[in-house]
Amino acid sequence: MTDGRPIVEARGVSRVFPMPAGPVTALRDVSLRIAAADYVAITGPSGCGKSTLLHLVGCVDAPTSGTIVFEDRDVRSLTEAERSRIRLTRIGFVFQRFFLLPMLTARENVELPQAEAGVEPAARRARTAELLEYVGLANRADHLPSQLSGGEMQRAAIARALANRPPLVVADEPTGELDEETGRHVANLFDRVHADGTAILLVTHNPVLALRASRRLAMKNGTVVS
Amino acid sequence: MTSAWLAWRTARRYRARTVLATIGVAVIGALLFDMLLLSHGLVDSFADLLNRTGYDIRVVNSQGLTLSRIPIQHASEVTAAIERLPEVASAARLRLERAQTATGGADVDVGLIGTTHTGARVAWTVLEGGDLPSGSADAGACPVLVTRNLAQKLSLTPGSTLPLRPSAGRESALPAVRCRVVGIADSMFSSATDNEVLTTMAGLQAIKGGADDDAAEIVLVASRGQGGAAAAVKAISAIRPDIRAYSNEDVVAQFNRNGFAYFRQISIVLSSITVVFTFLLVATILTVSTNQRLGEIAALRALGIGRRRIATMLLWESVLVVGSGGLIALPLGGLVAMELDRILRSMPGIPERLHFFLFEVDAVILHGILLAVTAIVAAAYPIWLTARLPIASTLRREVIG
Repeated sequence: MTDGRPIVEARGVSRVFPMPAGPVTALRDVSLRIAAADYVAITGPSGCGKSTLLHLVGCVDAPTSGTIVFEDRDVRSLTEAERSRIRLTRIGFVFQRFFLLPMLTARENVELPQAEAGVEPAARRARTAELLEYVGLANRADHLPSQLSGGEMQRAAIARALANRPPLVVADEPTGELDEETGRHVANLFDRVHADGTAILLVTHNPVLALRASRRLAMKNGTVVS
Repeated sequence: MTSAWLAWRTARRYRARTVLATIGVAVIGALLFDMLLLSHGLVDSFADLLNRTGYDIRVVNSQGLTLSRIPIQHASEVTAAIERLPEVASAARLRLERAQTATGGADVDVGLIGTTHTGARVAWTVLEGGDLPSGSADAGACPVLVTRNLAQKLSLTPGSTLPLRPSAGRESALPAVRCRVVGIADSMFSSATDNEVLTTMAGLQAIKGGADDDAAEIVLVASRGQGGAAAAVKAISAIRPDIRAYSNEDVVAQFNRNGFAYFRQISIVLSSITVVFTFLLVATILTVSTNQRLGEIAALRALGIGRRRIATMLLWESVLVVGSGGLIALPLGGLVAMELDRILRSMPGIPERLHFFLFEVDAVILHGILLAVTAIVAAAYPIWLTARLPIASTLRREVIG
């Protein structure tokens, strides 16, 4: 783990989902600290609570108990608008299914979070061009997601995650929909993002991808086992 | 990258859905537009018809039912008294009778109207020949104006002779009086199939065998002065207790309450149904579309795209579909209204110049307002759906799905 002030810290968090057949505990008493330039991989079998932890750290869900502190602020005390602002400017999300807007080109998908953050058009065009170059999609900038391969879509999604220069990128199974070769290219890209100073928290079933992380957490039955 | 721009891109992306929804709104919107034209068109057209006669007051006998009043007795005396009022510019008596032609072939029933009106004729438009003579100079010759339909049926031209006799009462036994056709005309209050004959009061008297009962079904009055029709109505009503005066506004209001109420009610019911259908169509399309995009929307929320932007994007999607459909609905509804108007006006007894559907700016504005409100209300549920969307569980469901 890299020394320094944590970007986000989960302190004894649990998450219980109310279900018709009775409450299901997805996460129990988990603590995690992610500092600047950390590269953390969470592995474990399906249903062990990996994605739930990632959602809590990414401020899209709230713990049933315990505390999430993001840049010294207790997430529970924030309004939805404030949490949304954190997600927009301080966290970059990468999803297994990419979730690029199908009606926008790769360029426009990368521009969207910047437009939402109020970045001026000229500045966001420059940043978008820089990011598409960074992920190797400069020549595919004006293509719709339907015209891109899976690997290209995930690279566009990574560019979108980096659009507002967040200190933390969270990725949920980023290579889950990709073949081995394409997954390796995406893994290389994460290495580069990390090397350039962005902290990464990723959830994966892919042991090769997990091995690239500087810190690996194994989860089982809602707890961190190693 | 405004919400409207995103909505436009979404509409273009899902082109088939957008086109189908727009056509659906256009068709329903056309029906709504037609109902709005119908709700006021008939009343406004009727008011216009009355106002174009040049008379703004109708005086009738106060006794009898609204649609079958007893004629005013001593009508010439009443008319003279009305004409003496300072609030009145002119007055004319109308006598309505039924008559039969006696041309040797199959007799034709005609509506016979006797009038004392002089001066420019507005309610009758002379198409061929001349107008009725003014005054009583030619009274013995029984000059008549005949409607186009009657002229065609009996092959009448200006100068033709038209034998007429009353079709009811003692006078029906009298020999027909040979009237002279002075002209062929269209009557504002007649349908295209009506057989009507207009003559002078002296001509009518001649057809009735010289009997003059000095009665009139209606006395038409043109008001003058600052008080207008209201002041004249008040003054006329004070002349005799057995007559009742109605301004054109009163007549329209009365018909609006009675005769046209059915059309208004039908129009309101059908307008409401079309608005509900528009709402259901747009709400269903938006809801289905939103449900198909829940993962995408949850991802956008996870990326920090605000609820407001997503809500306004959905609202714009609704406005785009309803707006473009609503615009297409105007010419489409106009064409349908013209065809429906033609069919309705061809019904027997409907004055040719009466329109059921009348184009009015107010109807266009109301159409726009109703559709705008529908677009907003239709977007409400999908917006609510996305606003309360649980991001984490939706993303989880999408991955599992």
